[in-house]
Amino acid sequence: MRNILIAAAALAVLAGCSQRSTFTDGRFVVGFDADFPPYGFKEGSEYKGFDLDLARAVCAAKGWEFVANPINWDAKDMELNSGAIDCIWNGFTIQGREKAYTWSSPYVDNSQVVLVKAGSPIKTLADLAGKIVGVQTDTPVMKALSKGGDHEKLGATFAKLIVEPNYNQAVNELAAGAVDAVAMDVGVAKRKMSDLPGKFELLGEIVMTETYGIGFKLGNEELRDQVEAELRKLFADGTAAKIAEQYGIEKSALILK
Amino acid sequence: MSYSGMVVDLLSGLAVSVEIFVLTLAVALPLGLVVALGRMSKSPVVSGLFRLYISVVRGTPLMLQIIFVYFAPYFMFGMPLASYPRLLATVIAFGLNYGAYFAEIYRGGILSIDPGQREAAAALGFPRTTTFMRIILPQVVKRVIPAVGNEVITLVKDTSLAFTIAVTEMFTIARQLSSSNTTMAPLVAAGVFYYVFNFAVAWAMERIEKRLSYYD
Repeated sequence: MRNILIAAAALAVLAGCSQRSTFTDGRFVVGFDADFPPYGFKEGSEYKGFDLDLARAVCAAKGWEFVANPINWDAKDMELNSGAIDCIWNGFTIQGREKAYTWSSPYVDNSQVVLVKAGSPIKTLADLAGKIVGVQTDTPVMKALSKGGDHEKLGATFAKLIVEPNYNQAVNELAAGAVDAVAMDVGVAKRKMSDLPGKFELLGEIVMTETYGIGFKLGNEELRDQVEAELRKLFADGTAAKIAEQYGIEKSALILK
Repeated sequence: MSYSGMVVDLLSGLAVSVEIFVLTLAVALPLGLVVALGRMSKSPVVSGLFRLYISVVRGTPLMLQIIFVYFAPYFMFGMPLASYPRLLATVIAFGLNYGAYFAEIYRGGILSIDPGQREAAAALGFPRTTTFMRIILPQVVKRVIPAVGNEVITLVKDTSLAFTIAVTEMFTIARQLSSSNTTMAPLVAAGVFYYVFNFAVAWAMERIEKRLSYYD
């Protein structure tokens, strides 16, 4: 313990030289979950995806240095509030977190769907009764299906709600039969279906509608406004639609007007 | 996904894992000796402090310690983190953690030396430091090698915990590749790399043990 304090004190001295509030040094650090294609993921040696490409375009327009910083999703609030990252831009659902961040306007409509194995007897939400359903940790759909959430009645019919560390693991467990269905974002679900054709299908009914926004530290309206102004330009001039097409995201999902 | 591309990516992650591994050992191996001696100090204040340190480090998860070391400067002292490299925080956390475990291993080694040797050295007029450095320590090193080797091998695997504060070491890269390409292959490949890494570490430990067994 004492050693930790000494180390912390030494660091405070080291760090005192180059203080930084929110990126006065021109580096725009985007925090994201790299387990989240097509919004942010690793391809080759770089991180890309719909959200990261948008962020990169915003930085290019503003003359900022773009830094893609993959984070541990469970530590996102500490990362943001401590200033280690400047925003969370990563298919980040607004619903259920309205008061926790300073939000940009919603720019993607992302329904929550249910992915099952191809040929599964589960066809409707009612068929999920008595089944094991997977969700990703700390997602709005997890909160909605848990006790006290907006869809707790539906959640209560499941045999069990399994909380997975990331979507990839949830889908692997679905393929392996460890869970019967996964409640997840439609964008990620469609990507998985195109990666593994014929293995999965979506239920016709959706669990709930939700929208994506960019989350900034509470009270950081200044940065939010700058980013949003650029983002609106990208949506107006068709750049966003072009990027969306590249990642297989449907045009109808783009809702920033 | 091309397999050569995957291997190149994993190797870049392995470089980070190796970096954490080497720097942690550079901190923890000497730190352990200081802590072991502090813990054995005759002053109850000094020995109590080191005892508390060992107790806290062993009694809490390494993952929590990593989060604490990285975020505490900001949340406790308001220090901005932009100039605090994540790797530095990782090495501090790992170093403090492994230092405590090494300390207990060293202490066991020191206590295992017959006190008669110390008394004989004193009777011959050796100063205490010389006795420790020239007589006790060389024997301790030989005795603790197998136990230290255990910890060192655990450390190789524990490097994957660095992602708690977003250090992208090999396991994280494997998981990301697995996500973006919807395949298990990167995880299997990472497993092979970890095994090869540990095989090399085990081989090196064996070599050191053999080299030190000059009386057998």
